[in-house]
Amino acid sequence: MSTTTASSTQQIPRSATTGEPVTTTARRNRLGIWLCIVSDATGTVALLISYVYLWSLNVNDGWAPPKDRFADDLPFWLIVGGIILAAATMWWGVRGIARGQRGRLMLASALAAIIVLVSFVGQIVQLSTFPFAMTDGAYASATFWLAISTAIHLSVVLFLTTAIMNRTRAGLFTASNHSHARLVAMWMTWVCVAALLGAVCTSTMKVSPNTQSPAFGVFTSQ
Amino acid sequence: MSTVDMMQTSDIHEQSAVPQPKQHGKAGGFLRRTNVLTGTGLGLVLSVVTYAIGSKLVPWGTQNADYSQVGFDALVGATYVAWVIGFMIGIGAFAGPIRWMLGHDITHDDAEYLAGKGQGKWKYWKYTTDHKVVGIQYLIMALTLLGFGGFFAMLIRTELGVTWQEVFDPNFYNSLIGTHGIVMIIAMIIVVSGPLGNFIMPIMIGSRDMAFPRLNALSFWLLFAAVPPLLSNLLLGGMRDGWTAYQPLGTQAPVGMLGYQICIITFAFSTGIAGVNLITTIVTMRARGMTWNRVPIFVIGILAAAIMGLVWFPMYQYSQALAFSDKVFGSSFFIPQEGGSVWLYENLFWLLGHPEVYVIVVPATAALLELMVVFLRKPLFSYKVAVAGFAGIVGLSSVVWVHHMYMTGWAPSAGYPFMLSTELISIPFGFLVLVMLGTMWRGKVWTRLPMMTVYAVLWCKIIGGITGVYLSDVPVDQYMHGSMFVVAHFHFMLMGAGLFGAMGAIAYWFPKMTGKMLHHGLGMTGFWVSFFAFQVTFGSMFVAGLQGQPRRVLQFDNAFEISNWISTIGAYTIGVGMLIFLYAIITSWRSGTIAPANPWGSKTLEWQTQTPVPLENFPVLPVVTSDPYGYGVPDPYDAIELKMTDENVKVGA
Repeated sequence: MSTTTASSTQQIPRSATTGEPVTTTARRNRLGIWLCIVSDATGTVALLISYVYLWSLNVNDGWAPPKDRFADDLPFWLIVGGIILAAATMWWGVRGIARGQRGRLMLASALAAIIVLVSFVGQIVQLSTFPFAMTDGAYASATFWLAISTAIHLSVVLFLTTAIMNRTRAGLFTASNHSHARLVAMWMTWVCVAALLGAVCTSTMKVSPNTQSPAFGVFTSQ
Repeated sequence: MSTVDMMQTSDIHEQSAVPQPKQHGKAGGFLRRTNVLTGTGLGLVLSVVTYAIGSKLVPWGTQNADYSQVGFDALVGATYVAWVIGFMIGIGAFAGPIRWMLGHDITHDDAEYLAGKGQGKWKYWKYTTDHKVVGIQYLIMALTLLGFGGFFAMLIRTELGVTWQEVFDPNFYNSLIGTHGIVMIIAMIIVVSGPLGNFIMPIMIGSRDMAFPRLNALSFWLLFAAVPPLLSNLLLGGMRDGWTAYQPLGTQAPVGMLGYQICIITFAFSTGIAGVNLITTIVTMRARGMTWNRVPIFVIGILAAAIMGLVWFPMYQYSQALAFSDKVFGSSFFIPQEGGSVWLYENLFWLLGHPEVYVIVVPATAALLELMVVFLRKPLFSYKVAVAGFAGIVGLSSVVWVHHMYMTGWAPSAGYPFMLSTELISIPFGFLVLVMLGTMWRGKVWTRLPMMTVYAVLWCKIIGGITGVYLSDVPVDQYMHGSMFVVAHFHFMLMGAGLFGAMGAIAYWFPKMTGKMLHHGLGMTGFWVSFFAFQVTFGSMFVAGLQGQPRRVLQFDNAFEISNWISTIGAYTIGVGMLIFLYAIITSWRSGTIAPANPWGSKTLEWQTQTPVPLENFPVLPVVTSDPYGYGVPDPYDAIELKMTDENVKVGA
């Protein structure tokens, strides 16, 4: 028969719903976020595989868009820069709240939300101004989807940063209980990686290396 | 040595001592007004509105070169998406995230309301977070899907029971094949991990609930939303190229294909969320003293399946998302004329398509390992070998997918390495079979229904496994790959090892889940009728396949006539057996004998708490002091066991 003394956990706030110490729920939530990242990473890898696979095969010489009008690199990197800046800002806020500086987290989450909003709008602008349509071959399809993936990620991050801002303002975070802010920062870091990988693909793999593309789906009578 | 002590400590939640956030309105808030009716209603309304608005935007009557209507794919796709979003809003899935964003944290009273406290049976129709309610919801959903899939199987066998006659239109027949396949696969994925992974597993590890109760409800209701689009495909031209929905046939298919795609995209979210929840619960919420070598083997099986699902399901999800994009938005991922590749689709698809077999079989096998020690009254033979078997399956499952693509022409040189990896996976599976046999060796068998399924599954797994080894050989597969032999093989694995195992698991845990004993006579009758009819049906199908009958073709040569008659008669008989088993479940649930708390004299934690299980599972949290399989060790507890055992022979008779 084992017993636990209440005194060892008296100083740690407890969850209102389960009564457990918030450190316990924070550990649990952290594993949950890691697993979400693993799952999302598999999906992102599926998109990256699609891009690289179609780029390397150049089936029916159908990789490149009409007139070889590939997307500009700069918007991809500007959006990546925005996300990195937002993530760094959020981490700065998390470090602050860990020292009890609630105002710093408030400022950081508000700034991060604004930066993410600007990045999101930039992503929408990029999607609507690509020099090709989604129907213009494999490159166009793969690039559109990488950009759509980033847009979806950004919209989720926008929701999360706004929530952290609201919750900070409501006084729900303290030095000993701010795990939600840390989890959001972790998720934002993953979103940086995902967007970065997309930008690397679209910037470095444009013209297909396969100049003798296999012809499938075209049948001619001799 | 007793397995558990009940911990009487201050670790139990003392809610009154915990500061509560502000209560906004009545406990439960917005979710007091939502249920399956509001979800269905809003889903339907949003679908109709979307369709109506879309019809106005797309010029009606404009046709493509193949006389299909311009924009119709987009219109139907948007309608399906509207259904899913509308349903999830209507059931209340977004209430939690919005409250969290606004800083309106839920109180203990809110949490209790959400868990279904004081709501009677109505809680099964709401966004309820209690893991036991979610488990029952999954059970009902799995049985419903098995019913649909079984009905489609009867229709298929009706067509194949007559030679040179078309009972159904060939396109409808092909759609039946595809729909039967995917409905059964979804049902089999959830039939153990859903009901038992949710209801039993948390109690088994000594936890009060799953790690993320609201995500638990979300995963179930996403599944619920995913099913209607899938079934509706039969009314919208169907999915004629099988459950694999190979491209570019999928893109060329009628709009019913979009129902399949939306279903899979939604179901993958459900599976991913469930995977996160199951893994987190097992890793972080085990009872004090439950070290990794004391974790019940069923929990290890659930963990293995959850890992495979979490990692590989997104591949399947994206294969369907990109196929949806090709069909609706005109992208060209899988359309060769425009730079796409069908091989890309096949790779993405089979990266989950094959591990999914293990996602189905592993939990069922683990459940049987769990229950057989109880009915043999002896410890599990080599627990560590069993764990190594599950670990080996998880590891190797990621490098076997190409054996489905031997005949596609993709990377012929990859055939032999993948032949080797596929054959290698029979080794960890062999570990599990050996553990089963070792446990049975010199055991005193208590011949109840759950134990009977162990023999059945062993038999089916051996047949399915051996024929699988043949099919993984490139030269044999070249001859057999498109034949009924393959159909018989995978039914031996999925139905023989998966479904019969699930029947055993449900029979074993039925008393804990429902508070009633499953009627022994009816259950045994249903099970054995199904089992023997199954051998007839698919044994005969092996013969037809060896003779060369192709699969997915509704007309066949006279040479295959007798085999098909036998298979059809067998299939009808399976249907009869399953109906008897279903009848046993329904009547036992409604008016069966009241079950004692531990009818089997088992030592795992779920049997140590009362039946029906209270809201927080245990009055006090348990502490585990030994492994769960200490049968045969002299212990005063054994006397209690024997007494219970004698009583239950009478109860179930």
